[in-house]
Amino acid sequence: MAIRQLRSSKVRLIASLSAVALVATGMVATTASSASAASHTGGTLIYVTNADSFAHADPTRVYTGEDIAFLNTYLFRTLLSYNPTVGQAGFQLKPDLATDTGRVSDGGKTWAFTLKSGIKWQDGSALTCEDEKYGVSRAFATDVLTDGPTYAIQYLNIPKDADGSSSYKGPYKKTGQALFDKAVVCSGNTITFHLNAPIGDFNYFATYPAMSPVKAKADTGDKYDMNPMALGPYKIQTYKSGAEMILVRNPNWSAATDSVRTAYPDQVTMRFSISEDVRDQIFLKDSTPNAVNYDQVMQPANQAAFFNSSASAGRGMNVTGPYTRYYATNVTPGHMDCLDVRKAVFFAINNKALIDLAGGVRFYGKLGDSVINPLAGIDYAPTHGGIHDSNFNIAGNATYAKTVLADAMTTCPDTYARVTDPKKGIAWDVANTATGQKAATLIKSALNAAGIQVNFNFIPSAQYYPTVQNPAKQGDISTAGWGADWANASTVIPPLFIKEGGFNENQNWNWTGKTTADPGIGYDAWHSRVVANMGQTDRAKQSAEWKALAQIVTDEYWAIRPLFSIEQEYWGSKVGGASFWLPQGALLFPALYVK
Amino acid sequence: MTIIYLMTAIAEPRKELAQRSPRQIAWMRLKRNKVSMVAAGVALFFVLIAFLAPLVTKIFNVDNTTVYPNVLGDGGVPKGFGGGISWHHPFGLEPGVGRDLFGLLIYGSRISFSIAILTSIAFVAIGLFLGISAAFIGGLLDNTLGRLADFLLAFPTTFMYVALAYPLSLRVEAMGLAHHNGARIIVMVSVLVVFSWPGFFRVVRSQVLSIREKEFILAARTQGASNMRIIFKEILPNLWPLAIVYLSISLPGYLAAEAVFSFLGVGVQAPGSTWGLVLNDATNFWQRDPAYLAIPAGMVIIVVLALNLFGDGLRDALDSKSDR
Amino acid sequence: MFKYVSRRLAYAIFLLFLLSIVVYLIFGLLPIDPARISCGVHCSPATVLGNRHRLGLDVPLYEQWWRFICGIFAGRTYGDGAAQFTCPAPSLGYSFPHNECVTNVIAGAFPFTLSLAIGAFILWMTIGVSFGIIAARFRGTFIDKAATAFVLIGSSLPTFIVGLLVYIAAFLMHWIDPISQGLWVSPFSDPFGFFKNFIFPWITLALAFAAIYTRLTRGNVIETSSEDFIRTARAKGVSERRILIKHNLRTSLAPLVTNAGLDFGGLLGGAIITESIFQLPGLGMISLKAVLHDYDLPLIMGTTLVAATFIILFNLIVDLAYAYLDPRVRIA
Repeated sequence: MAIRQLRSSKVRLIASLSAVALVATGMVATTASSASAASHTGGTLIYVTNADSFAHADPTRVYTGEDIAFLNTYLFRTLLSYNPTVGQAGFQLKPDLATDTGRVSDGGKTWAFTLKSGIKWQDGSALTCEDEKYGVSRAFATDVLTDGPTYAIQYLNIPKDADGSSSYKGPYKKTGQALFDKAVVCSGNTITFHLNAPIGDFNYFATYPAMSPVKAKADTGDKYDMNPMALGPYKIQTYKSGAEMILVRNPNWSAATDSVRTAYPDQVTMRFSISEDVRDQIFLKDSTPNAVNYDQVMQPANQAAFFNSSASAGRGMNVTGPYTRYYATNVTPGHMDCLDVRKAVFFAINNKALIDLAGGVRFYGKLGDSVINPLAGIDYAPTHGGIHDSNFNIAGNATYAKTVLADAMTTCPDTYARVTDPKKGIAWDVANTATGQKAATLIKSALNAAGIQVNFNFIPSAQYYPTVQNPAKQGDISTAGWGADWANASTVIPPLFIKEGGFNENQNWNWTGKTTADPGIGYDAWHSRVVANMGQTDRAKQSAEWKALAQIVTDEYWAIRPLFSIEQEYWGSKVGGASFWLPQGALLFPALYVK
Repeated sequence: MTIIYLMTAIAEPRKELAQRSPRQIAWMRLKRNKVSMVAAGVALFFVLIAFLAPLVTKIFNVDNTTVYPNVLGDGGVPKGFGGGISWHHPFGLEPGVGRDLFGLLIYGSRISFSIAILTSIAFVAIGLFLGISAAFIGGLLDNTLGRLADFLLAFPTTFMYVALAYPLSLRVEAMGLAHHNGARIIVMVSVLVVFSWPGFFRVVRSQVLSIREKEFILAARTQGASNMRIIFKEILPNLWPLAIVYLSISLPGYLAAEAVFSFLGVGVQAPGSTWGLVLNDATNFWQRDPAYLAIPAGMVIIVVLALNLFGDGLRDALDSKSDR
Repeated sequence: MFKYVSRRLAYAIFLLFLLSIVVYLIFGLLPIDPARISCGVHCSPATVLGNRHRLGLDVPLYEQWWRFICGIFAGRTYGDGAAQFTCPAPSLGYSFPHNECVTNVIAGAFPFTLSLAIGAFILWMTIGVSFGIIAARFRGTFIDKAATAFVLIGSSLPTFIVGLLVYIAAFLMHWIDPISQGLWVSPFSDPFGFFKNFIFPWITLALAFAAIYTRLTRGNVIETSSEDFIRTARAKGVSERRILIKHNLRTSLAPLVTNAGLDFGGLLGGAIITESIFQLPGLGMISLKAVLHDYDLPLIMGTTLVAATFIILFNLIVDLAYAYLDPRVRIA
């Protein structure tokens, strides 16, 4: 349910209002202050995680927010980087491998970046433009390199096959290689990307590892996930799933070419497979002072103990995060195809108990009113209805839910009969975790009180998203979580709510639009509005339309009860420089040092 | 593992004493064994409570579904002593959700006992049937069953269950036999039975083979008794003690097996509840709510110990050589 | 002897062969599609097809099985073109979640399982046999009663509860170093660290076995002491102590070989409960994780086959040991 617990493709976002100025023009890099650098250098930082390994460490495949930030800090280098500083300044783009933040032409359809010279791979060979081009091409090998962002496939000017997939099949099969060579062109040290439509914020995508270079000779396909070649200040010494990843200094990295990374510690270790209980103890007792928590947060019972104790003062932070969590309804006929039933579910569930279970409003999240997180900046506006409805009760309103359900008896009798039949009921997809099972208990209790029957489909956690995003396997309701990739709802509404978006858990392409708040809207009308708005170049108009579309999402109860996330970070007493990196939704990794 | 060893200790059918029937002798011996009788009482008490769960919970005015989130404090840990122990909630509450622990455990024991009893009865019945068939029919059937038993014993049972639980329950659900926990229970019982009968089968087979050569069978044969008659009238009565002992000794084993599988996360799942499931959850709270771990752990230990003691007593009572 | 050995060996190999077929059948017919699972979040039908091909699932089940068998002897190659890679023999398949050949994953986990099994084995054999002998020697006394109680409690306490209690105790005593949890410490380079890692799992695992072996030993010793040759020795005036050591134990401990061999073989497949409580990434733990987390079919099949192989292997060893000890077996 929680994005962190599931390690889904959680994605990052920028919260800056100024990010409207998307076409950055020659933003000059300011050199990071390095006055105190010397005193921070040395020692070993130990990151501690519950996971058995990185979901992916192959640059083309990483799509988990914190992993992107971590690997970009230590191992990879990208064309551009987010500014490694606290606060709003963190949203600025900084040239990293590139000499500037990108040059746009052809009305936003052509983007060019020039690589700095003198940058070397960990094996000592020089970085070339061909490496950059090869790295981008790997995103097209979706059969081998799964899970990565698909923006390159969506944006680059390469024709699509009949089934909607790109005609270029990646560097392994080489089918359609000429098409790719036309869309991405190297000339000397300059790489040019030709896009199929104007994309004003393409350079934000250039901060992704999926847009970073890969050396063709070092590419081992699947296996590259375990041994990616470093451009950054550290290289992999050991990486063993279930045990640890040890990063040591990369002698071929030079600070002179890198204005983003500080590289304080001599060694960075990631300890995998630390059990939750033990992880909590490490930070509660400060038993490993140079440890930093990674990925998942403490168990709720320990959160309170940690943040209430004076012993842990200055060793943790509790901050607003970039994600929106919600229950996605599958609107396919035969599933949650009835608006009144979706509405009844929304009013019936006991949100207070569910939020408390996961850490409460203090540690888990606040009830939200839009699928777009407020940190997405200008695209967020409170929607009406939903939690602002006068009948809404945070602890569940069984009486009103029954009233709404009674309406369903006439508006959609089939669905009504199904969800009130104890033998059938709503099929709710839950990740098979301790919290997931408990949440199921609470949901069942609340829904039964409103006369709705529910059955749970417990799915092994790593299979959760692959299952619920498989139209054939999804149940009626599933949990979802998402954060914008950058400060434009074009990275929220389209991925989540159109068929080709990639993260659609509503199957709303099957939506008939019949039993809806606004009978005029069907999926085709919805789809064309979304697609049209992606190409909208007037940012103010685009923003207004995103808000209108978000209102429809709320009205249709596609996203039941959005929750704006709250994130926690913890570290040991010997770790200095801890602060929050807003655009990455994670610790400001480059600033961390060992005292 | 335990079960197998206790089983190997079971001896040959005893030599009859002239005066009393074997059943009387066994009962007399069992009655003399105070510890066993107490254990039997305790075990029976728990079984009764389990099967009368709706009644018991009604008397105590609790159930296993109502949630009391308001009783939970910081981080979902119940407020008050011992995880929220009070007049209304004699064992406290489930952290995070707030269901009554007493209700959960009682209803949980129903599932645990059902699985253990079903499994034990099924594998004993199958073992008896196949063992007698193999010994009587012999030839190809005996050979095949013997090889099959060998083969099944080569499988790592725990591994097989852990690996098969999820996909097999999907299959059971797809067949429409049962849903969710129903499917899980069917799969658990089936897998345990499939890998448990071979051990008992071997014992039964060798017993039948040796009984078959006894004089009283020869006598029956010369009187023209049919095979069926011999099996039902002469052989089966001699196998009952063996079957009863196996049943009673394997019961605690399967009770624990259910708890283990649920504990590992491959057994019954919430919102259902079993002892193993509660214990699994309790491991997340042992520091802040130790009672939540101690109560179910104590219960499992008491029941398994009682059942083992009773099984031991029963075996001793039915086995003449066990006096030593 | 040679004929007997070769016959037993052939049978063991036949069993293994059959086992591989059955495991393939069971898992192959399950409603689980590994191609779908390894497909990731943006899963298109084309990707599923591609994955199926890469995983070698696009051929009939019998051919998948044949490729698997060939892989064990000749290694196996996956994928096409630049993304091609090979799992050298003995290949048990490829685990996508681990990005590693199954053989390597198992080899990485095996030291934990082996150390756990050996240490626990030594512990329970020492305790079980010595308690059993002492209880038999002082039969009927307080010592015997204590041993009986130990047997009862030890064999009644479910391992996972013992494990939890031991774990909590170790945790409270700060015996478990959180940050090095689950990391391999070689007994040769750091014997103390190794010991510290394993002592609590050993105790957990050994308890139930120690109780069982106490019971077995006690029973066997008592039974043997009523045999004629012991009575003869006693009549000849040999001391009780000498009778026990010189005459009795030889006879009464021999049958334990069977139990010990089979139990040890069973443990080499992985002790799921102990490993998961103490977070030891042995065979049991990795297969449990493979089930709960990814349903990583190749790894699950690999660990199942390895565990079964150990059971069959130790059955064979026990049979051969018996044949060696008792010539009558060979002819039978």
